[in-house]
Amino acid sequence: MSILEKRTQIATEDIVYRSRPIIASIIIIGGLIGLVAAIGLSVSFGAADIDIGTVWSAIVQYNDELTSHQIIKEIRLPRVLGAALVGACFAVSGSIMQGMTRNPLADSGLLGLNAGSAFMLAICFAFFPGMPYMYIIFFSFLGAALGAGLVFGIGSLSRGGLKPVRLVLAGAAVSALLIALSEGIAIYYRISQDLAFWYAGGVSGTKWENLEIVAPWVVVAFVGAMFFSKSITIISLGEEIAIGLGQRTKKIKFFLAIIVLVLAGIAVSVVGAVGFVGLIIPHITRFLVGHDYRWIIPCSAILGGLLVVLADFAARMANPPLETPIGALIALLGVPFFLYLARKGGEGI
Amino acid sequence: MIPNKYVSEYQQRRNKKNISIIFVVILLIISMLIISMNTGYIRLSPKELFETFFGMGTERQSLILFEFRLPRIVLSILVGMALAVSGCILQGISRNALADPGILGINAGAGLGVVLFISFFPSTTETPVFLLPFIAFLGSGITAVLIYLLSYKKGEGISPVRLLLTGIAIAAGISAAMIVLTLKLDSETYQFVAVWLAGSIWGSNWKFVLSLLPWILILIPFVIAKARVINTLNLGDVRATGLGLAVEKERILLLGAAVALAGAGVSVSGGIGFVGLVAPHMARQLVGARHQFVILASAMMGGLLLLVADTIGRVILQPSEIPAGIVVAIIGAPYFLYLLVKSKA
Amino acid sequence: MSNLFVKDIVVSYSGLPIIDRLNISIPDHKITTIIGPNGCGKSTLLKTIARILKTDRGAVFLDGKAIQQLSTKKVAKRMAILPQSSEVPPGLTIFELVSYGRFPHQRGLGTLKLEDLKQIDWAIQVTGLSELKDRPVVALSGGQRQRVWIAMALAQDTDILILDEPTTYLDLAHQLDILLLLEKLNKEEERTIIMVLHDLNLASRFSHNMIAMKEGSIVAEGPPSKVMTSSTIQKVFDIDANLTICPFSTNPILHSYQLSGCTQDLLENANEG
Repeated sequence: MSILEKRTQIATEDIVYRSRPIIASIIIIGGLIGLVAAIGLSVSFGAADIDIGTVWSAIVQYNDELTSHQIIKEIRLPRVLGAALVGACFAVSGSIMQGMTRNPLADSGLLGLNAGSAFMLAICFAFFPGMPYMYIIFFSFLGAALGAGLVFGIGSLSRGGLKPVRLVLAGAAVSALLIALSEGIAIYYRISQDLAFWYAGGVSGTKWENLEIVAPWVVVAFVGAMFFSKSITIISLGEEIAIGLGQRTKKIKFFLAIIVLVLAGIAVSVVGAVGFVGLIIPHITRFLVGHDYRWIIPCSAILGGLLVVLADFAARMANPPLETPIGALIALLGVPFFLYLARKGGEGI
Repeated sequence: MIPNKYVSEYQQRRNKKNISIIFVVILLIISMLIISMNTGYIRLSPKELFETFFGMGTERQSLILFEFRLPRIVLSILVGMALAVSGCILQGISRNALADPGILGINAGAGLGVVLFISFFPSTTETPVFLLPFIAFLGSGITAVLIYLLSYKKGEGISPVRLLLTGIAIAAGISAAMIVLTLKLDSETYQFVAVWLAGSIWGSNWKFVLSLLPWILILIPFVIAKARVINTLNLGDVRATGLGLAVEKERILLLGAAVALAGAGVSVSGGIGFVGLVAPHMARQLVGARHQFVILASAMMGGLLLLVADTIGRVILQPSEIPAGIVVAIIGAPYFLYLLVKSKA
Repeated sequence: MSNLFVKDIVVSYSGLPIIDRLNISIPDHKITTIIGPNGCGKSTLLKTIARILKTDRGAVFLDGKAIQQLSTKKVAKRMAILPQSSEVPPGLTIFELVSYGRFPHQRGLGTLKLEDLKQIDWAIQVTGLSELKDRPVVALSGGQRQRVWIAMALAQDTDILILDEPTTYLDLAHQLDILLLLEKLNKEEERTIIMVLHDLNLASRFSHNMIAMKEGSIVAEGPPSKVMTSSTIQKVFDIDANLTICPFSTNPILHSYQLSGCTQDLLENANEG
């Protein structure tokens, strides 16, 4: 047996040994139940409390003469579903990024997505004040794509091709550039605080029209992620091993990059640069279910959705009627856990 | 004199080249200094500049030069040096190309200090503004100590990876707290905070120069004296121990120096992050990997970069100013990307 | 009593005991090789001897003093360690990397003095790198890179060299190359060499002294003729070995081997076929 084969065998055995399908199934089932419960909870509490029975009747027998039904249908439900969607998008894109680049710190911020979206947002606010929400989301997505395109373009321009380290460095530099530009615009046109309020708004502006546009893409991207999940597991073992196992790594990485762009781009444009979900949920998921991406992807989607729904709920309830920035809440929740992982996991994190 | 037969001609040329590169950067700083002195809202011709410099100018001219421009110029050079050397140390000892003072939570800590302070003293009156550098330094120091304590493990000490992860987590937490706080500020104060966070050489005053100078004068020579130690740490812990280095002790000393330098720099400049990341990379590209050269070259590149950035930020959109931190990223990032594309390894 | 010995050490790694009360003495001016299956604690023993790992109990003694009590710089003048290869910082020439080996002998800024330069030059010559010394280290092949690390250890000018699997990932010729170099250093300079090797035949051929380990304890120790017996190999590696004599060293080497218990079946199969 060659060293490569041996390493592959050891690595794959290791994966099988370390994946925990039973726990994963429990997480999927329990998580889904939890998610539904959290959505119900979040929909019934708010500026006006509505009992759970009314929530149920608003869904099954909608009556547009009742204010409470209107609030639920037009304001709370799309918002909560938006939160779940955004959380799942961030978490799955983070999982893919971390597996693909084999870098435990990878998230959508790394690919220049957050910075690109922030840049476009600054332009929209500075030059087209009062732009409708839908357009802002759209341009924000374009910005995310621009950021990622720059990072990948420059990363692969380099001699020696697209290496993880190089991608990380290119991501850091492109992000720094785009953030500097958006800060410059924001300071010059005095819109810094407007931008901050936009980010603080989180998912509150989500409407059914937005969900209708966004949802099909997200579904396609999720299916794609599941389809490639086995390949991600293999790529996460290392480039050579993946090639040795007959993976066409270049092609797969290209598709994965598109999936990440769609998921993270949508999430960033809807809610802003909430980086911690994409960073931390994959770690929690791997910690719970092991290293098999066939389990990691669905589990991280559910856990991510759950986290953002709860965070959104907390953001509304913490200091009513004002909203606490959801990104800040998630970070404050995430930091202690991340610190715990960093201490416990050491190098392996 | 050492007979040269033991050192190849190539190696001798390489060493000489490194020294001349550092001199060239110093010359660039000096010429930039002259350019910067005569540009601004009120132009001074080279002749006027010369006269004023040697005390023969009008009162107004010497006021502009000595009280406004010169302190600011000197300050931006010093801040650039401090941040660059700090980044150089951190990249060297963590063996991570992405390490910069930001990962030790220095920018975030200083920022939180400033935002907290401003929330309590919303009016930007004379006294509080003058306290800002001190508050910023305090904030960055406390954060760095916190990160250090959280990543310390009994029996194992500090592992660079754990330090990095802890730093990122703490910085994220602090930024989150900062967002919550800043939303409560009125829009004028918010603008001030935004400019501060973006990083600008706003404290153009000899007092700030004097408060920064001792750190630079003590710590940069100290770090250069430790060049050999950084070289050795850069080979990894096991090899460094094998070479007889007290790894834990030296790493703490160097971390302390990095924190102090960056903290001092950030305290007068706000959140200029990119200099600490990019200047050491540029320096290594120019002079190789031996820190005897890299530290000095980083310091010079950092000083030059920030001076150029501050000068551009000062004049490009007159009469308003672009914070130097933003200009640094806008000119530094493309150059960094160019290096990335060009380099083989 | 030799200069370097290990007394009653207990070493654990993240809470798990790897080595439990081990005693061994390393003969001076000889080549000692530690062998054993994966995870038997041989690298741990090597790293403990090199003071990289700390002991829970017991100590490693160098010149009669516990090694953790000596200043690490002093120890670095006596012993050099070559860990398994790691990444090289980019931007260094061979000369520059080898010059880092002078660390324990330098003070202050680290300007290279005549004595340092002579030692570096000798180290580069002995390892056959003179022609390459201006090349960047990152551009070298695996075998050349291993030589550079050895040159760095030689520049350290120590009488003890500790090497962790110096031949791993090298082809046959380069493996021999490295071991012949070590043999030469031992013969001509009387350096004490301690290493971990996976290849039993090379270990037997080049060592004066072998240490066979299993599960954190020593199973056998002594000259190759004493350690390389079929019963010891059976005990340590769980394999049945046919031994023969190496024509180059007159030490025993493996002719062929098989997992214990399968030998009878295999022989029958071979005879039938």
